[in-house]
Amino acid sequence: MNNMDNALRRQVYSLPDLIAQQYEDLEPKTRKVLSTPEIFSIQRIVLTGCGDSYAAAMATKHAFEMLTNIPTEVVTALELSRLYQKKQIGFAPHNPLVIAVSNSGGVARIGEAVERMNTYGAFTLGITGNPDGVLAQKSSRVLPLNIPSFESAPGTRSYLVSVMALLLMAIRIGEVRGVRTMDASMDMRFDMLEQGKQLAAMLPAMDEKVAAVATKWKDFDAFDYVGGGFDYATAFYGHAKIMEAVGKYAMHINTEEWLHLNFFMRKSTEIGTVLVANSTNPCDSRSQEVEGYMQTLGRPLMVVTDKTDGVDTEQTTYCTVPATRYPITMPLTHFAPLALLAGYLQVLVGEEDGRGCKDQWSFAQGGKAVKESKIVID
Amino acid sequence: MALLKNFKLKTIHNDVVSLTDDIKKYVEESGVKEGMCIIYTPHTTAALTITSFWDPNGFLDLQDDICRLIPTRIDFKHQHDTPQDAAGHIKSSLIGVSLPLIIHDGKLLVGHSQGIYFLEFDGPRNREYFVKILADS
Repeated sequence: MNNMDNALRRQVYSLPDLIAQQYEDLEPKTRKVLSTPEIFSIQRIVLTGCGDSYAAAMATKHAFEMLTNIPTEVVTALELSRLYQKKQIGFAPHNPLVIAVSNSGGVARIGEAVERMNTYGAFTLGITGNPDGVLAQKSSRVLPLNIPSFESAPGTRSYLVSVMALLLMAIRIGEVRGVRTMDASMDMRFDMLEQGKQLAAMLPAMDEKVAAVATKWKDFDAFDYVGGGFDYATAFYGHAKIMEAVGKYAMHINTEEWLHLNFFMRKSTEIGTVLVANSTNPCDSRSQEVEGYMQTLGRPLMVVTDKTDGVDTEQTTYCTVPATRYPITMPLTHFAPLALLAGYLQVLVGEEDGRGCKDQWSFAQGGKAVKESKIVID
Repeated sequence: MALLKNFKLKTIHNDVVSLTDDIKKYVEESGVKEGMCIIYTPHTTAALTITSFWDPNGFLDLQDDICRLIPTRIDFKHQHDTPQDAAGHIKSSLIGVSLPLIIHDGKLLVGHSQGIYFLEFDGPRNREYFVKILADS
């Protein structure tokens, strides 16, 4: 028994089984939620969500474009609600397809965004685990999530399921539109299942490495999470868990932008830096360059990668994650070490999720701050 | 006497694959002088047919006109898979997945212009077909 065991870690260890279980649940649902004529009418796709759901949208944006050949953008709920230009909504019947993700389904801004999109002629698909929530009630179609309950921790299981649901939708839309054959599409789906098995096999070694990193980094006050392309969303997810679980300052940034901004920071040996850098990412050569600069600066570094040739040093730890046959499916599991890191740091500093919504944070009890908000449809 | 053999093939999209030589060879090697040869494929988006082998453009015409008769539409009621798949089911049903042929004098009895063909209505796919030989006595 790991003496730093924690709820986030237990969630991570549940992910391999969750992948298999959720695949069985979601694969048939993603076949039925949109009809063939509806799929053929899509001219543009907008993905939206808040927090982890926003990260899931970013994690799958490139997958949607590569698998469907349909231009896809990720728009925050607030921008979709208040700023997205009306002439870009309903520009063709039932367009764009707006896919809104919220497992809790009760986030006010998501409800507002979906309502506005419907008002001006978009077609909306809500992906949610709450059939009575505002997202399900306002969406044109609903892809219902059914995530088995588990010990509470900053979103880990729900993030995986959101990513999986979006990936399955992208595969489905591309398959129906004839971008690739049914056999090729099934192979992609099986690649997701295979990742679960790989993750299960890799978790013990991954866990041991991350625990050692957390022990070295426990007194740091700042963390950088860096990634590009498919890996950017994973970096976003990692920084979010530091804020939620540990209550310390964290930043997520694109690999290129890190060299425009974050590297200027002083106390470089006291900033825990996580670089997500997979071998099949088109940004890989830049990631390698940036890794060199990070080491020059003396940044304490954890590199999350599917490569297996990294040699750990006192400064740098290489954390190996599953290698997939289809790079677009990588975001499904590559966040696992980042969740482990946040969980261990939480234990080591004695923090409580979301500061327990106590004292000055009490206004956020029960998600009130994001569930209750003035709705403006213009 | 009865013999059964399984054959594998890899197809490309809307492929037309000649099976004639393999089946003729199998029949001749069987030693059966008089009997029946049944060819069967266990797929629902493919079919078996006999057509002329002289002009390869005839294969294109065949697939083109099958597609004109049963175009890939987006309003098929079968939406579990894809429009291509739904159209393929209909093409397969109409054309058929089996061929009964006669064995005479130790050879497959086919006309001088006739070839046996596997019609792919999807693809690329890994496919198979079976050949059963039944001797008269």
